[in-house]
Amino acid sequence: MATMTPQRDAKFAAKLALAYGEILDGIRPALQRVSLRLSGDGGTLELRNTATNTTEIWQLDGLRLVPDQARTDALVLAHQGSGDARLILRDHEAIRALLAACPNLPDLGSGRGSLGKLLALGTAAVASIALILFVLIPFMADRGTDLIPPEAEVAFGRTTFESLSETMEFRECKSLEGDAALAQMQARITDGLDLAWPLQIRVIDNPAINAFALPGGQVAIYRGLIDAAETPEEVAAVLAHEIGHVVNRDGTRSMIRSMGSFGIVGLLFGDAVGMSAAAGVSQRLISSAHSREAEIAADAFAHRQLTRAGLPPSAMGDMFARMQAQGLGEDMGVFRHISSHPELRDRIEAAMQADTGAANGAPVISSAGWAALQAICI
Amino acid sequence: MSTVKTDFGGDRGDLFALMLRTSFLTVITLGIYRFWRTTKLRRWYWSSIRPGGIPLEYTGTPQEKLMGFFVAVIVLALYISLFNLAGLFVAFNMADNDISYMTYAIGAAPLALVPVIFAARYRARRYILSRSTWLGIRFGMDPGAWGYAWRACMYWLLAIVTLGLLWPLMTFQMERYLTDRSYYGTAKFRQHGNPFMLYPLAIPFYVLGAAIVGVLVLIAGETEEATIGWYIILIVVLSVLLVLSGFYFRIASLRAMAGLKELGDGMEFGIEPRTGKLLRIHIFGNLISGFLISFVSPVILGLVVGFLYLIGRVDAGAITNPPPNLAAFLGALTWLTVFILYGVFRQVFVTYPTVRHVAATLELEEPAVLQGIRQREADRNREAGGFAEALDVGAAF
Repeated sequence: MATMTPQRDAKFAAKLALAYGEILDGIRPALQRVSLRLSGDGGTLELRNTATNTTEIWQLDGLRLVPDQARTDALVLAHQGSGDARLILRDHEAIRALLAACPNLPDLGSGRGSLGKLLALGTAAVASIALILFVLIPFMADRGTDLIPPEAEVAFGRTTFESLSETMEFRECKSLEGDAALAQMQARITDGLDLAWPLQIRVIDNPAINAFALPGGQVAIYRGLIDAAETPEEVAAVLAHEIGHVVNRDGTRSMIRSMGSFGIVGLLFGDAVGMSAAAGVSQRLISSAHSREAEIAADAFAHRQLTRAGLPPSAMGDMFARMQAQGLGEDMGVFRHISSHPELRDRIEAAMQADTGAANGAPVISSAGWAALQAICI
Repeated sequence: MSTVKTDFGGDRGDLFALMLRTSFLTVITLGIYRFWRTTKLRRWYWSSIRPGGIPLEYTGTPQEKLMGFFVAVIVLALYISLFNLAGLFVAFNMADNDISYMTYAIGAAPLALVPVIFAARYRARRYILSRSTWLGIRFGMDPGAWGYAWRACMYWLLAIVTLGLLWPLMTFQMERYLTDRSYYGTAKFRQHGNPFMLYPLAIPFYVLGAAIVGVLVLIAGETEEATIGWYIILIVVLSVLLVLSGFYFRIASLRAMAGLKELGDGMEFGIEPRTGKLLRIHIFGNLISGFLISFVSPVILGLVVGFLYLIGRVDAGAITNPPPNLAAFLGALTWLTVFILYGVFRQVFVTYPTVRHVAATLELEEPAVLQGIRQREADRNREAGGFAEALDVGAAF
């Protein structure tokens, strides 16, 4: 706080002595007229109540300006140690003289509320939001997923697929030989798995290179992915990855997470900067942070399962590497949630490393089956 | 018997400068400065309202507002996440295989916030009153946020299920709840009157509502397409009138209830805002704001491209066909400017004239009552409107 350096000149004192002010004592709701006088070598202000003839002493360096007043024709002053009392000056000469004598008059309240306390509380608020979003809700989602009855999850997955199918205008591809090949592939890579519900694997007539898993065992592969694959093992690797999501119940978990964190980030922003948009973006970032972990876990599942089935996990790495080389960007569906090249490189590398060369060389499906699968949408 | 009149002394230009400066700071601090903006605006508005020539004073500080906000964020984040999750699990386990129930249950989770919002508004009002003074004497309010919240929930529910028939009842009861807990210094406010006095004010609203229902019935029984067209036009007109009559009810009921408030032993009030005037302020204020905003984009385009042209960085064609990165820059600059200026214009052309009009009609009767009033204890409550801020249910400033 700036210390006052009152110019103790006689002129100032003389000017003030001619001036009157009004005081609100902060005890009774009444305006009282006071005459002003400088005293104590100019360091104090004497306020003499003209009606009661009592005098109050205010230190000049205890004076505080009441800030942001709409009217400039009056100066409202407070005094440290005088509680709620206010001095109102309307006399322009007196105002000018006072401001000249105390050029650095501090604002009332500018010193209140220590910065350290504010920072600590602000940090606590942000930390507790982070704790809720990244620890509490994921924990509840992990625990909660087990509390959800499998039938409810299957029903939920089916309904979700139906509504998705409606909005995206999915056309499901079916053929006798193609379905048989798909079933054979499924049997090979789910060998030895105990699933809580039956898998429902579909091929969708869509040129995008994509595949997804919904809660309750709903898995879909796009035609574009089959077209882009050079071997059936590559399709099998992607399928194993999606089955990993099913086994890990990632769809349900991410649904619980996003429902649980709904509306929390928005608390911080208000509408100050059109911040609802910013809140939406942060929400997206949070959910993609969660899904990155899920992708890696699903990859690991796929590697294990493929190895167990005698299939090469490197097929997934081959496919990703080829697509990366062809410049198919990360906006392709298979790379969803993967926001940078290093992560994709990591996934390719992990697939290559997981390949112990234990593949027994037996193709996942026969070449006739592979041809039928490639032709399933025709 | 004497009457104390109120004058309003704030200058629109000063408010524009204050609002522009604080809004700019709010945007560049990602919203943190908004607590300072709110406080400064309140101090400014309070000091421009001068009953009997003596300005009100707002004594709240931005620091306490920020503190209250942080606490509210912590509490609300916990509350919301637990409610979301609880709702989800209940829904999953109750819904069995019928997924549509689950959708409703999940959609209903935000309803848990409704009572919190009412409580937040009560507390925000209590905070504002406790930080308002006139003649050096504080206003104040008793605690009672949760009592307010459950009453508000019940009355809203009643008003909705009775298709608005209990709206006046709710208006009166909630206002009385707030008034009867308010103080000026040591003196208590009281709301006199009863809910029935508000019903005549709602007659236009009910008549129009009934007329709309009547026309809907006619449409259902009509087969002639041309006639249906006329009916639909009629419904549109009636709906606009219905909204206006709702607006009228709110202002007229405010007027009626203000006239029946008493402070201490016999001090009375009058607030006489006129519906027509407030309506004009809202319509024209918003029109002017929108009109001025429409100049932002061309002005920014002209200034930036003109400047770049003058220093020789772009050619003349850039004004009609700017290169992509310049276009993106112009887009971002325009969005930000529009965002800031729209708030500023609405503050200056809608909020300012509204406050000025309402304040200037405030009158106090029997000011002699003031002589018996003394200062009240400062309200140390630290909530500081934080919940209202976090839930974004605050007022215009």
